[in-house]
Amino acid sequence: MRRYSLTYFIGQSFKGLWRNGVMSLASITVLMSCLLVMGSFSLLLANINYNMEEIGLLNEIVVFIDENSTDEQVAAIGTEIKGLDNVSGVRFISREEAHESEMAKLADHPNLLQRMSLDKEIYRHSYVITYSDNSRVSTLQYQLEHLENKGVSKIICRTDLAETIESLKSGITMIFIWFLAILMVVSIFVIINTIKLAVFARRQEISIMRYVGATNWFITLPFVFEGIFIGLLAGGIGYLLQWYLYTYVYNIIITDYNMISVMAYADISHYVIAAFLAIGVVTGIIGSSISLRKYLHA
Amino acid sequence: MIEFKNVKKVYPNGTVALDNVNLRINDGEFVFIVGASGAGKTTLMKLLLREEKLTSGSLTVDEFDLKKLSNFKVPYYRRQLGVVFQDFRLFPNKTVYENVAFAMRVIGEPSKVIRRRVPTILSIVNLQDKYNCFPRELSGGEQQRVALARAMANNPRIIIADEPTGNIDPKMSLEIMNLLVKIQKKGKTVIVVTHEKNLVDYFKQRVVTIGEGGVISDTVGGMYNAEV
Repeated sequence: MRRYSLTYFIGQSFKGLWRNGVMSLASITVLMSCLLVMGSFSLLLANINYNMEEIGLLNEIVVFIDENSTDEQVAAIGTEIKGLDNVSGVRFISREEAHESEMAKLADHPNLLQRMSLDKEIYRHSYVITYSDNSRVSTLQYQLEHLENKGVSKIICRTDLAETIESLKSGITMIFIWFLAILMVVSIFVIINTIKLAVFARRQEISIMRYVGATNWFITLPFVFEGIFIGLLAGGIGYLLQWYLYTYVYNIIITDYNMISVMAYADISHYVIAAFLAIGVVTGIIGSSISLRKYLHA
Repeated sequence: MIEFKNVKKVYPNGTVALDNVNLRINDGEFVFIVGASGAGKTTLMKLLLREEKLTSGSLTVDEFDLKKLSNFKVPYYRRQLGVVFQDFRLFPNKTVYENVAFAMRVIGEPSKVIRRRVPTILSIVNLQDKYNCFPRELSGGEQQRVALARAMANNPRIIIADEPTGNIDPKMSLEIMNLLVKIQKKGKTVIVVTHEKNLVDYFKQRVVTIGEGGVISDTVGGMYNAEV
């Protein structure tokens, strides 16, 4: 079995790209546009999730301890809470700290403070618990209500808020995943049609190859390499445009809407370039292979 | 050796293109295939090139049984053939040299062999001075000689020429036919499909006449059948 030179195929691919300049440019533009649209929506989704996570972090469960509990019982409850699944942090607030905190809040309103005559005895020790998974808050709440160590008098938990955030996140994610899937399929079809036009323009060349005894892979390989190069170029240019676009929007948001958090492009750029190049190359390969199939029948 | 035995070809639309064709072409023979338009010559060529599969009967070309030949093996079969078409079918963006070299590259010949062999073949068809020209810079006769050089590039056992003189002037036609005869004298089997009565009569080779989907005459040293 004789070996064909890889450099020959790569050389042929570059010649093909150059000779079919207009079609190559059309393929690159279409693929790049599809990548930009997909990339923009993916980044939007990532940022929505990022903001949702931040809102989620504000969720806390407060466990108030019965005023008759001893210091040992309070400590034992704290230890038990720390050992529960889904608990990411536990902060103890003594009744003195709670009192001081309230006093500090009302420091600017001395009349109100005087009328309320806050006594530290009305406060209770408490534990402020943060958790890692919003979707399992109900379980955590149940576990807190059924601690082995007795002495919990009240639990404040905004399960409704946590669940709303979680369902909102799942809903948005699902919509975006479907949207991206549809966009991906549409992109592949557009690419296939663009490459089909390029292949159609070279159908006579392919038929000559068949007559001189070229195997299917000998015919296919230069086109596949062309697809890869088109994908790489579209991915590379698309990445740069995405960078510019994202940074532009990022600057507007952090200047005018500072309550919204936006991920820095530097933190996600490696995912973007990897995804763009991978999708570009795979689409290029699939597009050229499917487009050629018709012309490869013996 | 090429052997058609009771070959029948029916196209999917029901057209019977060939029916009960029996024909044997020995190694090193020169055969003209003649016949009116629609007689079945093109189908015969398509079967030989394995562009179409026969409906029934058998067709063998040397060790290849074309009825059983899998699609995967078709390219390897075609490397046994050198094909020349009326419309030349050269790569317009490749030079004369590249067009001939391409046929060799397809079968994986090393560049060293290609560089040595292509000039030799081009000198046989008398185009050694035009190796760097593109097809558009050549006359019809010259383009057909390039096609012939490409057909010979891989030293095939059989040369099939489909109306090779259809697009060129009479003087060039004679030159192309002389080249084909020269190739046959080197031991190749040459099959020429043509309408050119003058050439057929001039060269006095075996003439197979196809008509109504079958072989209606087969004469050695014969003349073009005027009734066809």
